[in-house]
Amino acid sequence: MSGWILLLPVVIPAAAAVLIFLVPKNAWAAQNALALLASAGTLALASALFGKDAAFTVRWAGFGMDFDLRLYNFSSFIILAIAAFTFLTAVYSSVFMKDAGRPRQFLGFTLLTAGFAAGAVLANNLVLMIFFWEGLLATLFPMILAGGNKASPTAVKALVLNGVADLCLMLGAGIAAWLSGTLAMDRINLPVGGFWGGFAFIMMMTGAIGKAGAMPFHSWIPDAAADAPLPVMAILPGSLEKLLGIYLLTRVSMDLFRIEPGSGFSLMMMIIGSCTILFAVLMALIQKDYKRLLSYHAVSQVGYMILGVGTALPIGIVGGLFHMLNNAVYKNCLFLTAGSAERQAKTTDIRKLGGLGRKMPVTFVCFLVAAASISGVPPFNGFFSKELVFDAALETNAVFFVVAALGAFFTAASFLKLGHAVYFGKANEDAPRDAVREAPWPMLVPMAALAFACVLFGVYNPLPLRGLIEPVLGQRLAESAAGLPRNWALAAVSVVILGLAVLNHLYGVRKSGKASGASDHIHYAPGLKTVYGWAEAKLLDPYDVGMKLANGASAGLLAIDRAIDWAVARLTAAAAGLVSAGIRRAHTGRHWMYVLWTLAGAAIVALIFAGVGK
Amino acid sequence: MSAILLIAVFTPIVGSFLLPPAAKVSEKLRNALALAFVLVSFVCSAVLLKPAVAGSPAYIDLELPLGLGFGFLADGLAVFMAMISTFVGAIIVFYSFTYIDRYPNKNEYYLMVTLFIGSMTGIVYSTNLIYMYAFWEISAICCWRLIGFFREKDYVLRADKAFLVTVFGALAMLLGFLLIYGQTGTFDMTKMRGADIPDAAVLLILAGLFSKSATLPLHTWLPDAGVAPSPVTSLLHAAVLVKIGVYAFARFFLINFSISQIWHTAVPVVAAASALVSAGAALRENDLKRVIAYSTVSQLGFIFLGLSTGSALGAAGGLLYILMHSLAKGGLFLCAGVVEHNAHTKDLGKLGGLIKTMPVTAVSFLLCAFSVMGIPPFGGFFSKYMVIGGAVAAGEPWVAAVFVIGAVMTVLYLMRAFIAVFMGEPKGGAFSRGAVDHSAALDEAAIGAGSAETAASAVLPRENSRPMVASVAALAALSLAGGLLIAFPSAFAQNIVSQMAVMLK
Repeated sequence: MSGWILLLPVVIPAAAAVLIFLVPKNAWAAQNALALLASAGTLALASALFGKDAAFTVRWAGFGMDFDLRLYNFSSFIILAIAAFTFLTAVYSSVFMKDAGRPRQFLGFTLLTAGFAAGAVLANNLVLMIFFWEGLLATLFPMILAGGNKASPTAVKALVLNGVADLCLMLGAGIAAWLSGTLAMDRINLPVGGFWGGFAFIMMMTGAIGKAGAMPFHSWIPDAAADAPLPVMAILPGSLEKLLGIYLLTRVSMDLFRIEPGSGFSLMMMIIGSCTILFAVLMALIQKDYKRLLSYHAVSQVGYMILGVGTALPIGIVGGLFHMLNNAVYKNCLFLTAGSAERQAKTTDIRKLGGLGRKMPVTFVCFLVAAASISGVPPFNGFFSKELVFDAALETNAVFFVVAALGAFFTAASFLKLGHAVYFGKANEDAPRDAVREAPWPMLVPMAALAFACVLFGVYNPLPLRGLIEPVLGQRLAESAAGLPRNWALAAVSVVILGLAVLNHLYGVRKSGKASGASDHIHYAPGLKTVYGWAEAKLLDPYDVGMKLANGASAGLLAIDRAIDWAVARLTAAAAGLVSAGIRRAHTGRHWMYVLWTLAGAAIVALIFAGVGK
Repeated sequence: MSAILLIAVFTPIVGSFLLPPAAKVSEKLRNALALAFVLVSFVCSAVLLKPAVAGSPAYIDLELPLGLGFGFLADGLAVFMAMISTFVGAIIVFYSFTYIDRYPNKNEYYLMVTLFIGSMTGIVYSTNLIYMYAFWEISAICCWRLIGFFREKDYVLRADKAFLVTVFGALAMLLGFLLIYGQTGTFDMTKMRGADIPDAAVLLILAGLFSKSATLPLHTWLPDAGVAPSPVTSLLHAAVLVKIGVYAFARFFLINFSISQIWHTAVPVVAAASALVSAGAALRENDLKRVIAYSTVSQLGFIFLGLSTGSALGAAGGLLYILMHSLAKGGLFLCAGVVEHNAHTKDLGKLGGLIKTMPVTAVSFLLCAFSVMGIPPFGGFFSKYMVIGGAVAAGEPWVAAVFVIGAVMTVLYLMRAFIAVFMGEPKGGAFSRGAVDHSAALDEAAIGAGSAETAASAVLPRENSRPMVASVAALAALSLAGGLLIAFPSAFAQNIVSQMAVMLK
């Protein structure tokens, strides 16, 4: 296969995006058609490319910075997933975005995002990879702003948090290139020995998990849930960012660097993963807004992926990647159900929603399937990938397993609350009850397709595992992870956890008297109440803390600057003034003084000439 | 070819003095001539590009006693720098047509701007240190007149400050030249290629370069120079003044002299301190032009880093940084000019919400800001990566890490400025002077549009000035093109760096 075809997954969406910006603002139908056509074409192309090997290289910016694309099992899997999610988003948005925010801006930058994301995955040169990877900053910003100018603080927050992670990635890549003497990713394979090797790994890992939205790079996601148009949430934090971040994390810890199981770096990743799981799910639990609740889960779930990949065990990496795929499917689906509720019931506040199950049956069923998947209910897809991660975590250290299991408990609890409050019971008094009906079919089809995938990837898990994920590990994997969980005891524990979550939910509903209050007994538990209070006051937001630090530091730097200015401008002027005052005083007007000066000067000149003469 | 070289240098220099008489005929003629002189210089430099790349650069040499031989050389580095300066300069002159129209002393303005650009080409092409110094001081005089263009007392003081700092720096540099003369017996750089020069001379020359290129501790005159008309600040930051120092650094220490190893560590450390301190100041300032000015000081640190670490990657990155920074920073200042021209304030606390009425300016500002931040696909990405990667490759990853912190702060202060000016809600009473000046135009616009929304935002200043808006849009587009078509400038930078091969690792 000739290599130039690898340009198409980048060029087709990007070209369509340019055309969309050229189409007049009001011509929604034309913009929509372009987006659908381009994303469908890219999907067809990505399917055709799937499982093939190809390479494309041209000289580019010199110094080893080649335009080097490589298609192999891993990249072909990820670009297929990117293309599929982009297409589904385009279909969904054809109705959803019609009257919302800035549709042209959203569509154009979504396609550009898809192109850049494909380029980042196909790139086989570190600089080219970063070119596309950081290019996503330039699309993320306007995508969030598609929600209107009120979204600008969130857009800046997203840009800064992602920008910090990306700059870390850039530094790490520079050091990795220095240590290995090449920028070609398939030729870099470094041990993490020595200070700079470890530093480079940490920097590149930071870039990867930052994109995936792990803590502490997560805090823009819940804000974006409120400000950005919903499809932005579905496609970016819901799907593409996880695919990209975990793809790179796997590449970094498996290919670019050789991380050993049980090593300090492996444990570091697992700790980051565990903290992300637990803290984000605890935040998700107390949310009263459909979209914000989902956004915290988008953060929490990435913890499982990092935990899995971080074990550096083949089974953990398979589990992490499988969870990445499953999460992209069910999280996207969940965000889309939130979009249905938002569009049809005009609110996402779960205290106002209620009884949507009967009025929006298709949305309801999709929600049920996706919620069961994320909660780890067998036989849906999330159950199988979570079991693999549990397995690998337990093999490393039981503490990680306990944290992961706690995360599963709270995940199930928060989705019981969400589902109960939104789809059962009665609608709140002030909700426009009669107007609520099922969403139009272009919104239902992507949801249903994703829900179907949740079932398929669970019930018939050899399809994703043997077909998509296990080839990535190749020889490293001793036996296939497909089929039923190997460790029945772990599976039993998971089911018990689900049971406990149900009991907890029933207790919470009974205590608070309403479904939306099912987590109040945890929210207002002694001790936790205080911590939640801090979190709500944004004292724990790493962005706000970082900005305070930056402000403090800049005050100090400005003081240095002012001091230098004072020294340069005032001090030199004062010194010049002093000197001239001194000289002026020497002008006494007495004749003999001037004679003395002249003689002294002549003597000095004579001495100099004498010195030069030697 | 040598005739073209002379035309490139002397058209703007000699031509600038023809502008005041031309104004007697017509002001339009004067404006057109000013632009034409700069463009002629640009075209001539562009013609010199091909022989320079091919390795047979145009060269003029007039032997004179005492090493005072007069010479011009159009090698790759010189052509690269001259093309950037004259091109961005031409855009700025075009922009000035509208901007400066309402102020007095226009003859002096065009004379000084054209002479400024001409002296820049003189510095760039000179092979003799003494003539280079002479052009250097001509540029200081132009800069002095232009910073104090509005003649208010405080403004004139700041112009004096800029003049004194740069001139004392240049005098130190002249002493350094004399030390070199004492060692080599000539001022002709082509005759002393590869000469080892004493550390004292390097230190003196660096004082000159740092004062001109506004680097710690000689940088504070540059933010103060923000009182100049916006096209002038753009000229200082993007096309001429601050680029003189970095150009001379490349000319002296990458092509001509060999210096001791210590400078490959000392200069990056000073540059890092400069980049951080000024980035912190940029995060604190509340005047739009001062924010962007401190940003220039900070970015100059990146350029010095790239040029000074001694790796080929970094040197090429430093050169590309000059190009990308000129385009983007020129754009940012011209955007600030559009805002200031129409809103009559540059106080971040008073501006706000201007994206509604100044969409093209806002988007151009954002694109240029992305380029300065180093976000792909804009040109600034490549230069930033190459500078940081070059520092790592030279075995100084710590310095690179400090610059990454500087890059993060770049994102912070530019986004802060963008949000304050273009996003959010306009603050009350900010545009009272603008409302008076433009009341007629604004009323007309409000009636013409007729909708309630437009009427509500009619108090916001508008993008009244098409040529100005076109200029900023062009620079934003070029910043993007610089990244998308990186292969061309990058190949050129590599060509130049290959001529420096002796000095680099």
